[in-house]
Amino acid sequence: MNALESVSIAIDAVRSQKLRSGLTLLSVGIGVFAIIAATSIMSTLSRAVSGQLADLGENSLLIQRTPTINFGTNWAKMRRRKNITYMQAKEFRDRMSSTNQIAISNQNPGMTVKSGQESTNPDVTLIGIDEMYFVVNAVSVSAGRPVTESEVATSRPVAIIGQDVVAALFPKVDPVGQLITLKNQSFLVIGVLTKKGGVLGQSQDNRVLIPITVFNKYYTWEWDASVDISVKAINKLMLMETKDEATGIMRALRGVKPWEENNFEIDANDALSGQFSGFTSAILAVAWISGLGALVAAGIGIMNMMLVSVKERTREIGVRKALGARRRWIIRQFLVESITLCQLGGTFGMLGGIAASWGVTELLREAMPSITYVFPTATVIFSIVICTIIGLAFGMYPAWRAAKLDPIEALRYE
Amino acid sequence: MNRPIIEISNLVKRYEMGNEEVYALRDVSLTIGSNEYVAIMGPSGSGKSTLMNMLGCLDTPTAGTYFFNGQDVREMNDDDLAEIRNREIGFVFQTFNLLPRATALQNVELPLVYSGVGKAERQDRAKQALEKVQLSDRMTHRPNELSGGQRQRVAIARAIVTAPSIILADEPTGNLDTKTGHDIMALFRSLWEGGNTVILVTHEEDVARHARRIIRLRDGRIESDKVNPDA
Repeated sequence: MNALESVSIAIDAVRSQKLRSGLTLLSVGIGVFAIIAATSIMSTLSRAVSGQLADLGENSLLIQRTPTINFGTNWAKMRRRKNITYMQAKEFRDRMSSTNQIAISNQNPGMTVKSGQESTNPDVTLIGIDEMYFVVNAVSVSAGRPVTESEVATSRPVAIIGQDVVAALFPKVDPVGQLITLKNQSFLVIGVLTKKGGVLGQSQDNRVLIPITVFNKYYTWEWDASVDISVKAINKLMLMETKDEATGIMRALRGVKPWEENNFEIDANDALSGQFSGFTSAILAVAWISGLGALVAAGIGIMNMMLVSVKERTREIGVRKALGARRRWIIRQFLVESITLCQLGGTFGMLGGIAASWGVTELLREAMPSITYVFPTATVIFSIVICTIIGLAFGMYPAWRAAKLDPIEALRYE
Repeated sequence: MNRPIIEISNLVKRYEMGNEEVYALRDVSLTIGSNEYVAIMGPSGSGKSTLMNMLGCLDTPTAGTYFFNGQDVREMNDDDLAEIRNREIGFVFQTFNLLPRATALQNVELPLVYSGVGKAERQDRAKQALEKVQLSDRMTHRPNELSGGQRQRVAIARAIVTAPSIILADEPTGNLDTKTGHDIMALFRSLWEGGNTVILVTHEEDVARHARRIIRLRDGRIESDKVNPDA
């Protein structure tokens, strides 16, 4: 009867002091809400993004002048790095012996693509590729064909377009064989990319691929604008060895002294997802710190509520002590009560957090069709535990005050 | 006299109020045996309440000795006192002091909860105690659904449910009308006749009249300790 009775007393207390307890429960709720919602949204996102990063091609390395996603690194140092030129990349490709699956590419976001009277928004990503692009990356064409080696070598004005561009320019006709215009240059559409969806709201289908030689001629600020090199190891076991060889060759080509660090980035897929997780951890840290802060504030509210409760029930405590309640019984009663209060607020926060993160997932589904909601089981368990700890920690002092009341004075209390 | 339950000798209770020392009890010696029916009387300020708190093991003496069933109360800490109150003493208060949210049955069960009796046995014994005070038909009622007399009966059932060595009643009829007060006094009498030890603390001659022995206090000392000729 005792624990249950304490639970029902706690619920009575909430009912009789609606505003005061409402505010306290609200702050518990906000704390739990922040933690649950952030964790759930971030784990849902990371699952979706690492799925997308895996699409870049398994067992692949990406060599770039600067990192894709960057946190806390020294940008001044990054900017001083020399470009990876197309010539340097081709030299690299020729020297590599552990694999021949090497693709060189470069990109330029924010292009406008036109065809006749039709025009896209100025947000199309133009990517300069070579014939290995479709081999190394998990990208394929759903109609037409990829570019050939000779088209790259001879700078032919051909293009492969993504589904978003198809929708904007050729909603009714077969795009293969049509002409498109990019900054006054005309291209023949030879293929259409398979639909991929998006990462973080950025569509992977809103792009146009052209031979990198053409790209370098018309769409970079200077001839030697930095290119990206994708290297695919022949299998997973060879990945580290391939990475070592690639690192060595790049250092030699770029004249890095033995005691200097790399002046380029070389990352496997998992490292790229690692960079993304650096981004999510930053958001999570903010959410958790503010969530825990709200919970501590809530704890102080709970302590205040419990002190009032002890005061209001002084006489009852006196009766219980007269009837033979030991100190630990009194302590237990009030702790159960404060834990109940915390759990009550926590439950609301938890339901809210789950609902919010589920809602966000649904909103993102438009941009990322592959997204699946990740239920934050571990965080839910953690919130229950942390609510119990807050209830214990901040209920202890009021409970102790109750337990050490003098029964005679408590019985006399009006 | 039967086997002694309460043995007090040269008991002193001193309080410090600011810089002043106040003697609530000075040199009180008293023995109460099993199955006695005692009334403790005195005007306010006589030390009556302090003596009741001592007898009820709610407080410990400053000097002198107090043995309860042979156990030295002066040596006890808070939890020991709680245990002895739980097992040996049944309290009946002027204001009943029932838990407002609990039913009559739950109120009577409470002392058994604190002595760790299992639920089934607890309910059994609580029902028996309520039968003894003729409230079997009010077990599921809460205090605010009961009359004053019924509330005091519940409180008496709560006091006897642990089969304590003494029943200690503090002005038990103080909040009741005369007729109901008589009924409650009749109940105490029948408990005494049934073998219980009853100690009443009161300032009303009418109430004290029911007891077999009347102890009168004045200024912290026992003024008289006599067998009641009327009883």
